[in-house]
Amino acid sequence: MQLGHCRFNIDNGELINQETGVVWHLPRAELHVLTLLVEYQGKVVAKPLLESGHEDDSHLSSASVARAIFTLRSFLGPQYETLIETVKGQGYLLRHHRARKETDNKLGRVFIRPLQALLVVIALISVSLVSLWWFNQVGHAVSPTMPLSIETATLDSGQQVDVILYSPSNTNNELLIDQGQQLTQSLLDCTETVWNRAFLSLSHDKQVLNITLRGDYFGQSIIRNLKISDLRQPKRFINPEWLEQVNICDSLPVRLASSHRTQGR
Amino acid sequence: MARKGLWAINIVILLCLLASIGAIYSLTSKAPSFMLSCSSELFNHEVGTVDSDHYLLVDLVSKDGLAQINYRYYDLEGNSAGTLAMTGKVNKIDAQRQMYDISVTTKQEYLGGSSFETPAHYEYLSYVSGINLNKNGMHSLSIQVLERDETKDYAVVLFQPSNTVCGCRLVH
Repeated sequence: MQLGHCRFNIDNGELINQETGVVWHLPRAELHVLTLLVEYQGKVVAKPLLESGHEDDSHLSSASVARAIFTLRSFLGPQYETLIETVKGQGYLLRHHRARKETDNKLGRVFIRPLQALLVVIALISVSLVSLWWFNQVGHAVSPTMPLSIETATLDSGQQVDVILYSPSNTNNELLIDQGQQLTQSLLDCTETVWNRAFLSLSHDKQVLNITLRGDYFGQSIIRNLKISDLRQPKRFINPEWLEQVNICDSLPVRLASSHRTQGR
Repeated sequence: MARKGLWAINIVILLCLLASIGAIYSLTSKAPSFMLSCSSELFNHEVGTVDSDHYLLVDLVSKDGLAQINYRYYDLEGNSAGTLAMTGKVNKIDAQRQMYDISVTTKQEYLGGSSFETPAHYEYLSYVSGINLNKNGMHSLSIQVLERDETKDYAVVLFQPSNTVCGCRLVH
């Protein structure tokens, strides 16, 4: 019979502390009281029953029973002394609680290693997956390109056009800036325009200038893309005359620009 | 085992499982589909010659993590002046920064008839996509959305590494 960390051997009348190895050969009163408490474990054992003889006709005094309870609690130690509960006015009770907990511990010992192993496996898999996800996120991280400059051109009509330049590098952008100024000047020369935003970018090798114009025309969203290649040196992608030729201000860009180009040839 | 210890283990396992589910979902979820159609006027300034003009249609389709980009070149009479067809996969979509990372795995080039002039932009794109092939034979391409309006179905995007800004229609 397990009582906390002690084992009660009824046959030998011994209470063995399994942690320290101390064996207590129980005196008659303690053996009698503990035997009755074990026999009625979980139930209140009345004081008269504890005081009465169990296997012989001997009789214990109330003080002897109280002292036996005290010494038994002392041997069980502070951690398990509450196993023996005093029920006021009735008697004493040996609780199942600690004994059941001990059983849980046994079960715990049996399952603790597989549980730990499972926990480690789950943790490893989780860390691996999260690491994979993190590398997937960071490994291909490409930082967005920010505008090199944003300039607002205000036409005589009061209309405003934002000219936004994009460059992947902060070095040697004077050509792009110059082309941006040429476009801004041409837009300023427009009486009116459908465009409210112009995006400019120069290819990394400065061979192609890209212009995207964005605007609204009678509630309809319109976009115009111009890609100008110039292999000459020095580069002269755009100038006010050429921009006028391709009808940069116009709301029907492609058709008008085509006719202009045809006329220009 | 103490009850508190068991609760701690349960919570750790639960957190690990939730993290695993999140990571698996993130790694296996397919990229959303989209289609961009971009039309551009092409101009080429050359020494001693008049400007040669073409126009370019670019269709960029992404579906189930795969991407296809077709560059179709025409002269002003409507004759095909060349086509570059690229296929690849969408490596990553950064929804927060509106960036799409694409690896182009195959590239096919078709020139127009010999009687038609090859657009300078075609030659430029053919060259750039060739030199950007990485050691795995893939051309990495990123598309950054600079401006987008779903109600008006347009997006202004920036292609890298060519640093090409382009306004496109969003096609549903």
